[in-house]
Amino acid sequence: MFFGQKRAPNTRLDLLKSVVLFKDLPMRDVAMVDSLMHERRYLADEVIFDEGEEGQGLFVVLSGRVKIVRHGQVPETLLEFGPGSFFGEVALLDQCVRTAQARAVEDAHIVALFRAEFYSLLETHSAIASRISFQLARVLAARLRQAITSRDQHI
Amino acid sequence: MDRSLASGPLVWLGIILTTCLLLVFFQTMLWLVLPLLLAVVSYYLLSPLVNMAMARGLTRERAVFIVTVLLTIFLAAEGFIIVPKIASASHNWQDKLADYGRTGEDLVMKAKQSVSKYFPFLHPPESQTGGMGVGRIGFVESGATPTPSSNNELENQVENLPAKYSGEIAMEALRWVPSLLLVPYMTYFFLLDGPRFKRFLVRAIPNAFFEKTLYLFYRVEDQMRRYFRGLLSLTALDAVCLGVGLWFLGLEAPFFLASLAAVMAWLPYLGSIAGGLLVVLVAAHDAPNQPWLPYEVVGLFIAVRMLDDFVFMPLTIGRSLRMHPLVTVLMILLGGAVAGISGLLLVMPVLGVVMVAGQIIGELVTDERVLARYRHARHLRQLRAKADL
Repeated sequence: MFFGQKRAPNTRLDLLKSVVLFKDLPMRDVAMVDSLMHERRYLADEVIFDEGEEGQGLFVVLSGRVKIVRHGQVPETLLEFGPGSFFGEVALLDQCVRTAQARAVEDAHIVALFRAEFYSLLETHSAIASRISFQLARVLAARLRQAITSRDQHI
Repeated sequence: MDRSLASGPLVWLGIILTTCLLLVFFQTMLWLVLPLLLAVVSYYLLSPLVNMAMARGLTRERAVFIVTVLLTIFLAAEGFIIVPKIASASHNWQDKLADYGRTGEDLVMKAKQSVSKYFPFLHPPESQTGGMGVGRIGFVESGATPTPSSNNELENQVENLPAKYSGEIAMEALRWVPSLLLVPYMTYFFLLDGPRFKRFLVRAIPNAFFEKTLYLFYRVEDQMRRYFRGLLSLTALDAVCLGVGLWFLGLEAPFFLASLAAVMAWLPYLGSIAGGLLVVLVAAHDAPNQPWLPYEVVGLFIAVRMLDDFVFMPLTIGRSLRMHPLVTVLMILLGGAVAGISGLLLVMPVLGVVMVAGQIIGELVTDERVLARYRHARHLRQLRAKADL
């Protein structure tokens, strides 16, 4: 890019940049991460992943809404995500089964970052991957704190 | 779902049948499959270099370009060193071949002499060999009566062998040149567009199968990477073992000969035999005063082959494919029976890929939940399509 020339607006990259995981990355690195992501489109009520499936990576919502549901005796909606938020992040770190179902509430445009690609990012662009990992650790820590607080309130 | 169902006998039967069909199909288009295979090997060899360059801040395009240019320079430099040597040696290569031919003939004769000396009961009685005793011809066909003229014929055939087949060998080599020129071209684009091509393919997968199929892609890729790394480890182990053995036996250029034989062993069985014969001929030719040397080399080759087939191969390639050693050996035999030399060469990588694909497809088609999700998503799309009709 030449000096003084403005970057062409790219809503997708801007939206990715607004995701907490990628907020510390310069736009060039966000583009690098974006090149590793897989794009999917889901209709309202379509299942994105199912409870008990082996998770492969995290999903970032670009548009639409997604709910996380756990099917006990009565289906229980745990969380709802809108544009700029992400879910299924534990699968990015570990090969584990999904503990709940993700379902599109309305038509959703989603990108997925898979574990294998994240590992290759760790090899080729360790600085980018470590920043993402750090942010991910902070998010997980915050969720753990929230879960503990909510359990204490219940008690 | 019960995963053991997915890899049951039916799935394994499908895997073996698909592997055999693919081997037969690949045999008919070996001109394309072989460069493709070599390009994939080059891709797995060079991709760590591209990753290293990218880790230093280069874009993929630049990294691939630099690695390809460096490789071209390296190959050109090697060419500048090796080609003049080959050119200077080419004027007498026919004589050399004839020499090696004569050496081979002498070796057979000496072998027969040794057999008759130490195992006289194996030697036919003199009356059957026309009173020749230990003749110049090694193992005479039954019913044929060897005469001095037949000995001369054989000598003439050995003398004329290089002149007779050199043209055919040269034509065969020329026939492969266009195919082999595809290798660097394919490698460049595999390195450059591999990830993009993968994402392009993934886009066609229905949402319900998305995560599982992507997992299949990763496992296939991992399988292939493991296989080719296993193959290279096996070649290195073979070359070192043979090289050390040949060095102990006092042969000239032991590690060069060992490396040549190890690379030839990429062609299972036949390649090993050809590589072994080559080294035995060199030993017999270069050390005519050591009559036992060729036999020692044969012994060494048999020992290394045993080590290779029963220890190294199951530990490197077999382990890389996470396959039972017995299955490895049986599949190699089956590949050879179904598609000859190309089958022997291709059976392991093809089986590795088909095995992973078969197991995952087995999981998908037997997973009622995933199929129900697919039907549900299709129903939603149909409803959307019919909404305003």
